[in-house]
Amino acid sequence: MHRTPFLALLLLAVPALAQTTQVDQSWALDQSTLTYHMSHPIHEVDGISHAARGKGVCHDGQCDFLVAVPVKSFDSGDSNRDLHMLQTTRGAEFPIVSVRFRLPRASLSAASLDCDLEVQFAGNTAHYSHVSFQQKVEGTSHHITGTIPSTLTDFKIPAPSFVTVPIKNEIPVRVDMTWHPS
Amino acid sequence: MRQLFPACVIVNPFVIAAASTVFVLFQASLPAAGQAVVHAEVASAESNPVPLPDAPTPAIPDQTSTSNPPQAAQPSSRQSLPKPVDQNPQEPAPPSLSDLGLSSSQTKPDPDLQARLDRHTRMLRIHQRLGLITLAPLAGACITSAFAPPDLKKGKDNATGRDIHVGLGAASVTMYAFTASYAIRAPKVSEAPSRGGIKLHKYLIYIHGPGMILTPILGAMAYDQANNGEKVHGIASAHAAVAWTTVAAYGTAIVAVTWPIHVGSLKF
Repeated sequence: MHRTPFLALLLLAVPALAQTTQVDQSWALDQSTLTYHMSHPIHEVDGISHAARGKGVCHDGQCDFLVAVPVKSFDSGDSNRDLHMLQTTRGAEFPIVSVRFRLPRASLSAASLDCDLEVQFAGNTAHYSHVSFQQKVEGTSHHITGTIPSTLTDFKIPAPSFVTVPIKNEIPVRVDMTWHPS
Repeated sequence: MRQLFPACVIVNPFVIAAASTVFVLFQASLPAAGQAVVHAEVASAESNPVPLPDAPTPAIPDQTSTSNPPQAAQPSSRQSLPKPVDQNPQEPAPPSLSDLGLSSSQTKPDPDLQARLDRHTRMLRIHQRLGLITLAPLAGACITSAFAPPDLKKGKDNATGRDIHVGLGAASVTMYAFTASYAIRAPKVSEAPSRGGIKLHKYLIYIHGPGMILTPILGAMAYDQANNGEKVHGIASAHAAVAWTTVAAYGTAIVAVTWPIHVGSLKF
């Protein structure tokens, strides 16, 4: 008997619901260069990937960002070393490195970004607080650079060795990204 | 006749309309006590001619019951019911991997590949260790090669030095065979062409591989000639040249997978 009013209510409520979950602004990762650095007493190696994908979603003054990159996309210039890296980091079981962070929308144009990062890698999650990134805004593109101070122990990765000498625990990842609103 | 009816009965239609509006409007949100009060008002307006004490007034917005005309009150009050979304706003979900357009082949775990990678790495680690260990008998064979040929001028046979050289050479070849077997039997995990130092490392197999076969054959021929008191001659005389080429290729293969070498701030 009272179906009609309830249907009317439902029809009114659904658009209203959609309105409140509406995204204020989206961001897309244009281009990126991620570089890990590995140190060994007789080796210094950089592994580079340009294959990162990223998206940001803003609502209620906060923006959530996600950056993901396939582990096997990192190229150190030596295919044997890359395969060893893939094996050590269990890159076939956990093929994606993902980084999540949240920023206040008001800070998106600041020259320096202070980020709390959640990094998922090799089946483990590590949190890095107050990682500083530098930003240059040119038109609509936001060029961001910085370094994530990651270590092997953060992700419970056993240090690979060369000539029985293990590599250093520190594996900083240099970030160079360009974002733009989509 | 009209005077027989109490005043509340005369205003009955308006009171009922207003009360109905209030009732419908707050049916869902009012507490049970508030609803009971509204019911009591309606009931008293409809049928109770005896004046009752005033019931406590619920906290009801006045405009819905008083400012709207009774005819329009009911439908409009239904539309102005509180929207659930205002009470429980939802946040949009943060971006997920599926939003990034990564293909399933990129995101799907591959335990089989991981197992092959583990085995590949395990076998190449043994390959690496055996390869380094092989350097020891190889270096020994190189050093003792100076004492292997007979010294015909001084009339020395050098049989002991030759035997030591043969022993170290045989150990080198055996160790080399074991070393190579781990690289050959390691599962292939990528069809992509090799890049970097490993490329040169693999190319050098075509030099030190045949060299490791030829060297002991030529060495055996030279050994026989020397034991017969002859000067090493013919194809056997190439033993030393083949052996040194093999050792050079082997050493270069080791350096190739190590290159470039950094020591402190120096880069080689």
